[in-house]
Amino acid sequence: MKIVIIGNGPAAVSAAETLRQQDRDCEIVMLSRESVPFYSPCPLAEYVEGSVPKAHLFLRDRDFYARTGIDIRYARPVTRIEPQARQVWAEGEAVAYDRLLIASGSRAFVPPVPGLAGTRGVFELKTLGDAEAILERIGIARRAVVIGSGFIGLEAVQALVRRGLEVTLLEAREQVLPAMLDGEMAALVERRLVEHGVQVRTGCGAERILEGADGVRAVLAGGVEIPCELVICAAGVHADLSILEGSGIAANRGILVDKRMRTSVEGVFAAGDVIERPDAPEKHRIVPNWPNAVSTGRIAAWNMLGVVRRHPGLEAVNVVRVFDLPIASFGVQTGDSCLRWQDGRGAVRKVLLKEGRLAGGQLIGEINGTGVLHEMMKKGTAVERFGTHLAHPGFGYIHTLEPLRAVKWA
Amino acid sequence: MSRTIFTVVEKCVACKSCEIACAVEHSRSKTLAGAILETPPPQRRISVEGVGAYNYPSRCQHCADAACITACPTGAMQRDGGTDKVFSDHDKCIGCWMCVVVCPFGGVTADPVGKKAVKCDGCPERTARGEAPACVAACPTDTLLYLTPEEFAAQRRQATAKAAVCGGESATPNGMDILRSLKRTH
Repeated sequence: MKIVIIGNGPAAVSAAETLRQQDRDCEIVMLSRESVPFYSPCPLAEYVEGSVPKAHLFLRDRDFYARTGIDIRYARPVTRIEPQARQVWAEGEAVAYDRLLIASGSRAFVPPVPGLAGTRGVFELKTLGDAEAILERIGIARRAVVIGSGFIGLEAVQALVRRGLEVTLLEAREQVLPAMLDGEMAALVERRLVEHGVQVRTGCGAERILEGADGVRAVLAGGVEIPCELVICAAGVHADLSILEGSGIAANRGILVDKRMRTSVEGVFAAGDVIERPDAPEKHRIVPNWPNAVSTGRIAAWNMLGVVRRHPGLEAVNVVRVFDLPIASFGVQTGDSCLRWQDGRGAVRKVLLKEGRLAGGQLIGEINGTGVLHEMMKKGTAVERFGTHLAHPGFGYIHTLEPLRAVKWA
Repeated sequence: MSRTIFTVVEKCVACKSCEIACAVEHSRSKTLAGAILETPPPQRRISVEGVGAYNYPSRCQHCADAACITACPTGAMQRDGGTDKVFSDHDKCIGCWMCVVVCPFGGVTADPVGKKAVKCDGCPERTARGEAPACVAACPTDTLLYLTPEEFAAQRRQATAKAAVCGGESATPNGMDILRSLKRTH
C-alpha cells in the first residue's frame, strides 16, 4: 500500500511513525512545503529570543526518515488533489496514492491591511524560515510593532522585548487574548505587559503599513503613526484550504472529518491544524494546537491501515506565558456561574460552571491542577458537590474519588 | 513483572514524609540539611492531598498513553526505555506548561522558579541500585509500597482474607485508626 502524507509537522510525523510501527511494508511518501526536517514550531519565539538553540527545534535525529523508511520530499507544495485518479500534484509532479493524509497545517492569517503583505520587514512567526528572517532583521531594528495579541503575538512581544527592542502591541479587539480570557483577566495580562515596557494599544487595528527606503518605517494605527523597523503579524491562523479546489473534499473553516479522521472522500484522511470537527460543540471544532495535531495524526494512521480507532475529541485547552506569568484557559468563557480564587499576589483562578458541570476556566499565575479540571470538563463530571474548592489550587485528583471512599468507610 | 509504586490510600496519615524525601532525593546534595540550604530550593514531585478525613499522596501515574508526552512540543517529556517511567528532560523543557494543563492527575507541576515542568521520575538512580524510590522508603505507614503487581495483589488478598476471618475487623489498622490510637495513649 502506498500512503502519501501532505505535510511534515507534528500531525504528519506522528501519523508516519504510527504507520511504520504497525505496518513495516507500506510505502510512505511525505510531501513537505518547507525544506527542513521536522521541527517544532512551538519554541520559535524562544528561538528568536535566544533561549532555545536551533538544534533543540529539531525533534528527530538526522537519520529519522531513512531509518523509518519514509520517502521525504522537501519543497513540494501540493497544488491539487485528484481523488478520482488517486493522485496529488506537487511541483508539476503527480504522486499516486492508495491512502492520502492531508496534514498541511495552518497558515498565518494576514488581515487586508495595505502594505501588510509584501513589505520588507513585515513577518509572520509561523515557520522556521519566518524566525530566521526576524533574527536577521532584529540586527537593524530598534522598534517593533506586533499586530494581534493571541498566543503567537504575546510570545513574539516577549521575545522582542528580551532582545532589547521597544515593542508596541496592537489589538483590534478591546482586550488582549480575546479568544482565551474575559476582560478582567485580560487586564491583568495587560498590566504585566505594560510593566515590562510594552506599549499596549487595544481597540486599535493597524490601518496601513508605511514603507521607507529600508523596508517598513511605521505602522499607521488609530490615526497615529508608530515608527518601527520590524512588524510581526500574528492576527491568528487559519487552515489553508486552497489545495482542496476541485477535489470535492468537503470543508468549512477546516477540512470536515469524522471521529476516525476520514474526510468526505474515500481514501482521504486529514489531521492536525487543518481539520474541523462539525459534530463537536463550537469551541471544540477547530483547535489548532500541538496535542491535537499529534493525537489526530495517530488516529488517522490507524484508520488508514483499516483499524477502527476513534478520536475522543479535540482538547480545547491552551497555555501561554507572558513574562513568566503563566496563563491557562480551557473550554468556553461563559457559564451560569463562576467560581473564583485569588491569592492577592496576582494569581487568579476562575472556573465556569454550566448546569452543574464544568464549562471552562481561566487561570493566571497559578496553573497547577488545570489538567484535573480540564479532564472533569471532558468527562462531564457533576461538580456541584465540590463547591468553591473547585477553583482552589489544592483541588486535585483525590476529590473526584471522594464518593468511592466515602462508601468504603461507611 | 518489574516493581512499581502502589498506594494503599486508607493508611495515609498525611505526614508528608514522602514530600520531604522526594525533594531531598531531587536536590543536588541529596541530604536534608543540604537541600534546605540550596537555592532554588529542590521541588517535591509528590503531594499529599486531603479531602476531609481522607488523604492521598498524589503523583505521576506514568500512564501507558501519557497525555503529557503527546502534548510536549519540545520532546522533553519522554519515556525511559529502561525503567518505562515518564520523565522530563530539563535541558529540552522550555516551561510552556502544556503538560501541566493536560495531565488528568495533576501529576506534572509548574516550577515557577526553575521554569521547568516537575514530575515524578521514579527515582532512576535509587531503583538502579535496587532500592525503593525515596517516597516509598520514607513512608512510615506503608501507604506507599514498591512491589510487583503480583506481590501487591497477593498482599491485598491476604489482608482481605484476614479481615474476613477476624470478623470484619481489618487486621492492619488504617491511617485514621493509627491517629486515633495515638490520641488515646496521650
